[in-house]
Amino acid sequence: MSVLRPLDKLPGLNTATILLVGTEDALLQQLADSMLREDCTSELRVHLANSLPLPSTVARPRIDLIVFVINLHSKHSLRKVEESLHHVDATFFLGKVSFLVTGAGRESHCSIHRNTVVKLAHTYRSPLLFCDLEIEDFRATMAQRLVRMLQICAGHVPGVSALSLLSLMRISENPSLEDL
Amino acid sequence: DMQAAAEPADSGGDGGPPQVAGKDAARPEDRMTLLLRLRAQTKQQLLEYKSMIDANEEKTPEQIMQEKQIEAKIEELENEIEDVKIAFEIKKLALDRMQLSSALKKNLEKIDTKTSLLMDNMKQILNLNKLIMKSQQDTWDLEEKLLDVRKKRLQLKQASESKLLEIQTEKNKQKDDLENMENSEKIKTIQQNLQREIQITTVIQHMFQNLILGSKANWAEDSALKEIVLQLEKNLTTIQ
Repeated sequence: MSVLRPLDKLPGLNTATILLVGTEDALLQQLADSMLREDCTSELRVHLANSLPLPSTVARPRIDLIVFVINLHSKHSLRKVEESLHHVDATFFLGKVSFLVTGAGRESHCSIHRNTVVKLAHTYRSPLLFCDLEIEDFRATMAQRLVRMLQICAGHVPGVSALSLLSLMRISENPSLEDL
Repeated sequence: DMQAAAEPADSGGDGGPPQVAGKDAARPEDRMTLLLRLRAQTKQQLLEYKSMIDANEEKTPEQIMQEKQIEAKIEELENEIEDVKIAFEIKKLALDRMQLSSALKKNLEKIDTKTSLLMDNMKQILNLNKLIMKSQQDTWDLEEKLLDVRKKRLQLKQASESKLLEIQTEKNKQKDDLENMENSEKIKTIQQNLQREIQITTVIQHMFQNLILGSKANWAEDSALKEIVLQLEKNLTTIQ
């Protein structure tokens, strides 16, 4: 399957699956570990990938949330993410996709401008999260946040859907971002 | 290249044993909670699939719109969603209030009105409301005072402006007067010149008088000479 569709499979009972896409393998693994350590009533499954499309040989459950991880220090990660975005169906972007940017802390090493990722998130109308994944505490906080988002996107939270979460997150965005 | 790190996380709800096996050995209440939770989950997921189906049935606009138009349309739709959400919240609030007031009514019939916590709360609410109204009144008064002070300041500014204008005109008048006086300086010099001329002429008069007298001519007899001498007697200082 070359394009990921959000609702083409039936959900597993009490299972929520997140797909982390990014070129920074070590960081993704650490983030995955932090997420799995989180206390959560649903069963979490974390899949990691360097890029899309995913090989269709493996049977995998329905993916509830895709997080594209971009490292501001490497243009390669941005390019890979941009290529992978083509393999995601448009309906995914109704709240089930999020962008996570790392490396914003060390301004001198950044080769990608902040505005580039902000524009990217704005084009795909998906939330943009900033987190320095190398620092343990920030990573743990972000893992917590991602777990909550994942639960909502998997439909495990009654009354809140991925779309309503999306509009909630949009409101709290800095208004100046909307002028880009 | 994909790795699946699929380790199930904590699924216990009570902080009990994290193993899946613990679910079967749990007490019936835990199982009930779990079942209820799963039911809520399944409901929510069903709702998602249903709304997706409904969305797919809506006909998508066939014409190719420009990006700006699409963005505007998206914003419009998002605003619609927000409006519906707000309306829903307001209705929910109204319903909650109705439920609360009916529960209160039922409760009030049963309780002792003097000592209950409810009455204390109500009294506290009334006190706070009084405080709020008083504070609002104070705010209003202070704002009025501020407005008055500002008005007065404006008036003072205007008065000082007119005063300064007056001062300026006065100064200008003074300057003009000074200039007039200076002009009168000219007049003075002219007068001085006049004086000098008169003196010179007087000296010349005397000179001519002495000439005629010195020449020992009988000026009384000649009428022209007589006229000249008499004219020379005229005192020129009376001219000014």
